Amino acid sequence: MSEHDISEAGAFSGPAVKPGPRSPGAFGAWLEERRRPEERRFWRLFFFGLLGLVLLLSLLAPNHHPHFVVDAYPAFWPVFGLGVGLLMVFFVKKIVQPLIKRPEDYYGDL
Amino acid sequence: MATSEFLHPSLAFIIVALILPGLPRAGAGRRLARYLPLLPPALAVYAAFANVPGTYATVHWLGQTLTLGRLDAMSGLFIQVFAIMSLAGIIFALHVEDRWQQVAALFYVAGAMGCVLAGDFISLFLFWEIMAVGSTFLVLAGRSRESVLAGFRYFLFHVLGGLFLLAGLVWRYKATQSFAFEAALPFGQPWGGAPYDWLILLGFCVNAAVVPLHAWLPDAYPRGTVTGSVFMCAFTTKTAVYVLMRGFYGWEVLAVAGTVMAVYGVLYASMENNARRILAYHIVSQVGYMVAGIGVGAAMTINGAAAHAYAHILYKGLLFMSVGAVLFSTGTARLDELGGLAGRLPWVMVLYMVAALSISGLPVFNGFISKTMTIAGAAQEHRTWIALGLEVAAVGTFVSVGLKLPYFAFWGGKPLDMKRELRPIPANMYAGMALLAGLCVAQGLYPDLLYRCLPIPMTEANHNLYQPWTAWNVLQALMLLGFAGLAFYFMRGVIRPHAGLNLDFDWFYRLAGRGLLALICRPAAWFDSIWGNVYRSLGLAGLKLFAAFTVFFDKSVIDGVVDNSACGVRGLGRLGAVLQSGRLQQYLAMMVTFIVVILALIWYLG
Repeated sequence: MSEHDISEAGAFSGPAVKPGPRSPGAFGAWLEERRRPEERRFWRLFFFGLLGLVLLLSLLAPNHHPHFVVDAYPAFWPVFGLGVGLLMVFFVKKIVQPLIKRPEDYYGDL
Repeated sequence: MATSEFLHPSLAFIIVALILPGLPRAGAGRRLARYLPLLPPALAVYAAFANVPGTYATVHWLGQTLTLGRLDAMSGLFIQVFAIMSLAGIIFALHVEDRWQQVAALFYVAGAMGCVLAGDFISLFLFWEIMAVGSTFLVLAGRSRESVLAGFRYFLFHVLGGLFLLAGLVWRYKATQSFAFEAALPFGQPWGGAPYDWLILLGFCVNAAVVPLHAWLPDAYPRGTVTGSVFMCAFTTKTAVYVLMRGFYGWEVLAVAGTVMAVYGVLYASMENNARRILAYHIVSQVGYMVAGIGVGAAMTINGAAAHAYAHILYKGLLFMSVGAVLFSTGTARLDELGGLAGRLPWVMVLYMVAALSISGLPVFNGFISKTMTIAGAAQEHRTWIALGLEVAAVGTFVSVGLKLPYFAFWGGKPLDMKRELRPIPANMYAGMALLAGLCVAQGLYPDLLYRCLPIPMTEANHNLYQPWTAWNVLQALMLLGFAGLAFYFMRGVIRPHAGLNLDFDWFYRLAGRGLLALICRPAAWFDSIWGNVYRSLGLAGLKLFAAFTVFFDKSVIDGVVDNSACGVRGLGRLGAVLQSGRLQQYLAMMVTFIVVILALIWYLG
């Protein structure tokens, strides 16, 4: 633990620190089971299947009340969601952040 | 304040906050002090549903008529959600032993509710400042160097905002002879407004965290206590949303500023590492939706802003609670140090996800019924760019709060972390979270719970009928969020957070602060050095002479006569030492006490 964590850990008051249980509870163990490699493949397929279904529906059910003209085209919203998501993350992490990133204690507040 | 038919909800908060410090620290008194703070929120919830709209609690003061209880559909909605949120917040904080935190929280909530019910600018300003002081103490209560410094900056900035408001309302009184708090302009004059209106607007915009006046928020909120930040995230910005809605709806500048806020907050949240700071930037973003809705000013967007404020308080409180629970349990909120926790804090993860899906606007959760109303309203008014900007922000919201934060906090591609010491999370924290999570889902499934309280009745004539649960709306949300999720899946390596600080507008605030300090300190230091010389050459010699005389006088005349005076002087010296302790929180408390005493004297004598 770094020094900063201690100051942050001090940011609350309450009963003295007692270590919690060392084994995950029943629900926690069930959640961890879902992370096994063979289950991962299932979940990936499941979610890609859902996306495919949504895409299919968007092609079958065009928007009858378009707000922005372009959103009348089928598959506008999937393209918008994917495109904006990719561009935003790239723009922020690869272009903006390198310019404005400083060491954590840049202002000497910590 | 209270008449037979109206219970002012702030009253109980103030009374309990005043008696809480005096209760004994052991035995029954201690138990009472723990559970007593539950009373005012409970009464407020009762009052929110029992009070009948009207104008109550008018007080004549300084030749003015103050209205402390203007209750209508708009203020009633905010009082209702403030009451529910304060109840959940107090339940979440029941385990906190630090009584001053509860006192600060109670004053803070009292201030927020007082602002919402204020019908004139004087009482609005008084409650506005109570709110600023109460919330400052919630930051200071972190009791680390980091939070004390942040609290000081926070207070300075809010004093500045308060001064804009004060200057505006005094100027406005000179011009209009009225302190009544009404809409500044009739609808449809987007760039009108007298200079004093703009000053008042500026004061409100400080609290609404309108970019570029927003940087106090991500600076201070991550540094408050676990429980204190839960209160702060709900009240300051939403009180500002209320006063903007009341006074400045239809101002074009707000429509643009709100859209900028919505996108700006999301961009910063995407690169931030501290989980509570991510949430803080998302307050800026979500308040942007409300400010944009107010700026567009149509019946549907105003309703959308009000609905979104209600929904936002519930899910943002839950977000700060669940991330606070992670911080409480692990000791850190830094995403690069977390991960592999889903198996050990599974219920915190589930409760967090309820809030995260709510803020993202997924069907079933309450963001879906409030956010979409604002966007649909903006589109209906043909404000294409505003509606599109808000959709962009919706994508970013899901990517950063809906996926990035939980992924790196609870999984992060790391195996289950069994080595980490976890502090057990008290049951009351879970209870507070469960209450809000239940409400988030209930509102999402039964939008009418929220819609029937909206300020403008939803009718055909008002052109604000809105039905969220249509097949197209559900499909649109799934398309937008599903494929935003796909973008996260592709970019999860790029978006991985790292320790560091991202420069924001507070760089300019600090520059201005240092400049001002230099402007005052340089001449002061120059004067001080001259004064020091004068004092050394003249004053000290004089003092020595005087001392020699008093020694003589004391020895020969007074000794034995008034020994008691020494004790008196010593006592006075101690009081002086306490008064000049150099501790900001004591100065603040003293300042408030003095103001209250002076105001009470004026009231009594005048």
